[in-house]
Amino acid sequence: MAWTTALPLAIVLSSLVPGLLIFALREDQHWQRTALNLAGVFTKLLLVALMLYGVSRGLVFHFSLPFLPDSELVFQGDALSLQFVGLSSLLWLATTIYAIGYLEDSPLRSRFFGYFSLCVSATVGLALAGNLVTFLLFYELLTLATFPLVVHRGTPEALRAGRVYLAYTLGGGTLLLMGVALLHSLTGSPDFMPGGYLAPLVESHPASLVMAFALLILGLGVKAALIPLHGWLPQAMVAPAPVSALLHAVAVVKAGAFGILRVVYDVYGIEPVQALYLDQPLLWLAASTIIYGSLKAMQQQDIKKRLAYSTVSQVSYITLGVALIGPLAAIGALVHLVHQGLMKVTLFFCAGNFAETLGVHRIQEMNGIGRRMPLTMAAFTIAALGMIGAPPIAGFISKWYLGLGALQVDHAWVLAVLVASGLLNAVYFLPLIYRGWFAQPPDQWHHENRRWKKTRPGWRETHWMLLVPTLFTALLSLLAGIFAGTDISPLAWARLIVAREFGA
Amino acid sequence: MNLALISLALPLVTALLLMLFRSRGWVWVALASLLSLVSAAGALYEVVGGGRQLLYLGGWDSALAIRFQLTPVSGLLLAFTALIHLLVAIYAARSHHSQTRDSDYWPLSCLLHGSLAALWLSVDLFNWYVTLELLGLVAVAMITLAGPKAYGAALNYLTLSLGASLFYLLGVALMYGRYGVLDVLLLVELVEADNSTRTAMILMSLGLMLKAALWPLHQWLPAAHASAPTAVSALLSALVVKGPLFILWLLWSQVAPRELAAQAGPILAMAGILALVAGGWAALRTPYIKTLVAYSTVAQLGYALLALGLLLHWQIAELHVALWLFVLAHGLAKVSMFLAAGEMQATLGSRRVDSLKGATQTMPVAMFAFAVAGGSLIGLPPSGGFLAKWVLLQPLFLEPRHWPWAFGVMLGTLVTAAYVFRVVALAFDRARPMRPDYHPDPFAQWLAMLPALLVWSMALISEPLILWLTGVTD
Repeated sequence: MAWTTALPLAIVLSSLVPGLLIFALREDQHWQRTALNLAGVFTKLLLVALMLYGVSRGLVFHFSLPFLPDSELVFQGDALSLQFVGLSSLLWLATTIYAIGYLEDSPLRSRFFGYFSLCVSATVGLALAGNLVTFLLFYELLTLATFPLVVHRGTPEALRAGRVYLAYTLGGGTLLLMGVALLHSLTGSPDFMPGGYLAPLVESHPASLVMAFALLILGLGVKAALIPLHGWLPQAMVAPAPVSALLHAVAVVKAGAFGILRVVYDVYGIEPVQALYLDQPLLWLAASTIIYGSLKAMQQQDIKKRLAYSTVSQVSYITLGVALIGPLAAIGALVHLVHQGLMKVTLFFCAGNFAETLGVHRIQEMNGIGRRMPLTMAAFTIAALGMIGAPPIAGFISKWYLGLGALQVDHAWVLAVLVASGLLNAVYFLPLIYRGWFAQPPDQWHHENRRWKKTRPGWRETHWMLLVPTLFTALLSLLAGIFAGTDISPLAWARLIVAREFGA
Repeated sequence: MNLALISLALPLVTALLLMLFRSRGWVWVALASLLSLVSAAGALYEVVGGGRQLLYLGGWDSALAIRFQLTPVSGLLLAFTALIHLLVAIYAARSHHSQTRDSDYWPLSCLLHGSLAALWLSVDLFNWYVTLELLGLVAVAMITLAGPKAYGAALNYLTLSLGASLFYLLGVALMYGRYGVLDVLLLVELVEADNSTRTAMILMSLGLMLKAALWPLHQWLPAAHASAPTAVSALLSALVVKGPLFILWLLWSQVAPRELAAQAGPILAMAGILALVAGGWAALRTPYIKTLVAYSTVAQLGYALLALGLLLHWQIAELHVALWLFVLAHGLAKVSMFLAAGEMQATLGSRRVDSLKGATQTMPVAMFAFAVAGGSLIGLPPSGGFLAKWVLLQPLFLEPRHWPWAFGVMLGTLVTAAYVFRVVALAFDRARPMRPDYHPDPFAQWLAMLPALLVWSMALISEPLILWLTGVTD
């Protein structure tokens, strides 16, 4: 087997195998568990780096196994999948370290890290999936692997959230299955290809194609939290902080958004989508989700809940960029996939740090927290400003391209949506920044964590395993913005993808 | 002697021998099942290579003799039956919680195996009657092994089963009166769509549907399957209800006149969808673990009924494949589910679903087996249940006017997911303190996991399996 064939499989296995081994570990085998986790993380990063290099040189990575008639199980490493794989493996590194620190001395860690690794394997498998059937398989696997993480705490609220999560995601999975089966009955499931493979059927089977598109988008929209299918996301924030971070930044919501990218660009193709008038409903859905999510976020008083509604809004930028159907908007969508991940993971890390160190969960309790935890608050500020779209942080780049893209295809009203959303973002993020830095801190932090003695402002403000990943991702969101113009930025990669997809 | 006949004779001979030698019964049963599995596999290999075989018992001519037919499907079912019996025999012998270790289970399970094997091989309306009677009586006897509390359900089952046999027999008598033959292969050439044939078909179908617990004639099943000992529940759900289904399939797809079949198809398919929804709803509501699993059998048989009904309606060959994939996937998953449920019920000391709270911590392996088997029932890719559903969906999507049926399948999927995850979500709750007599049996739990893993590993051979079944069921 040539190495270009084996590499996609190896990337999936590099987290799957450690995950399965972790299940077999006893609770007290702390070092073995950490070693397996880190070995998996670094192996994957190395393999992904290798594939990045290969794809930028024009190599083709393709692995297939026989599965169904007319549809194999295919992994393929193309430019689009690598955008997502790269993001997942990078953030998996940060989140794993964070989770090890976060869950120190808590029960059921083998179960947690086992499913955590399965979740990342499912995400990566989904990113590398080379056709719809493979995508569907990992999409369902992702649901199954994340459910135990959402209910990990076993509290009544966690279980309720878990049930809601399952009801939505399994329902979505069923719709997706129906959509995939419908398309499969028409043409089989060939590999994803730039420009799609359904163009020949537009004349003969318009009804089937529209139906399948609706099924696919509804199925994917559940995970991408498009309204009215977003109800699970704010509830799922009862999960432990690293899980929320992973769910909101990479694994689940991005799986949905990534699926929409795949369906529009590589299954239907841009022209059939326009010919069947499918882009307009999608555009309206995305735009209303953006505004609705922002409005709901403003009403929340719980930090994590506000972040959750902000995710609803921000992830729809990706869908918006796809639905605009233009190369510049596409660049905006693709680059936002990465940028939103970096910023949102930082925000959830910060929320977790506040909650774990000082017991701060609500926005009113954030007064003066910047003096007690200046580094975490600095990271929070960077990420929140990025969400608003302030230059030179990563979020600005995505919004810039989305705005240009909207103008390019003569949808000026989308610009108004972007501006309104930016203003709303400012309305719900700036008070937090203000309270954190400028409001008067309480005399004493009531729920200060007793586990880590001697925490003091600066490098020792919280457990180092919680602080380092936070700073790391905050730095990345800053660098992704500042160095957007260079060849190694997410933006450059997004341009590469768009050049291949749009053939420009 | 033919390998298929060996596979049939082994359990029957073992059953007779066990009447004489009662000690260490399980060794003989396991050995007989294993050898029967090997010869069934051999027979399957032969029939796939050489095509359909007709076997004449005792060398008599076709009009007088008992004649058996070995087709690839019956070969597959022979091997499947032996495999399930082997798994369940090991469980019944080795589990700490088995209620059947030193009982009449051993000769009875051999008789059950033998009568099923005879059913798969028969092609004669009256032979089927005999095997059905034998199957029903043995099944009732096995339910009573659970002791006096199962007598009510067993008696109910016995009464209905005898009633169903009468219906069937009446239909057979009408057919014999009309055509003068009972052999299906001869009947195929004679049959016409007249009133007496129609009446006979309806009578036989009612009897068979009652025996197979096909909705709406399923009311006896949940009580009977839930009150039986765990090993027996597994056999009943995985195999016994499939016997009458097999006859129903052969009768309608081969004997029944085309017009009649096309008329009956939508009714059967509709009943299938109602079974999926109503059975699933009942499983969602019941407070007892094993009753939940039993209702899930009622619901899953709906998929088979749906495939059969649509098959008759449109005469699409792929639906044969879907039907038999459902039977195989459901059988394996259901064995796993019943064994896991039985283990959890015995270890945690309660029949109620609530007692599974925290089972991921107290009984992780059994709970995982339950969830994995449940995943196949839901039809999550790439399990065996998914393959079946996929094959079923393909022809449904080809034409927009067939889409409502696909909607029915979707409803079924959602209800199945609801009752499976009702249990799984509960298992992630924080565990209650252990009972003092908490005594889990790891071997039995892993044994429950084995068929669940088998049904998921059908994915590894999915493409050849589907293509092969497409070739043999035409």
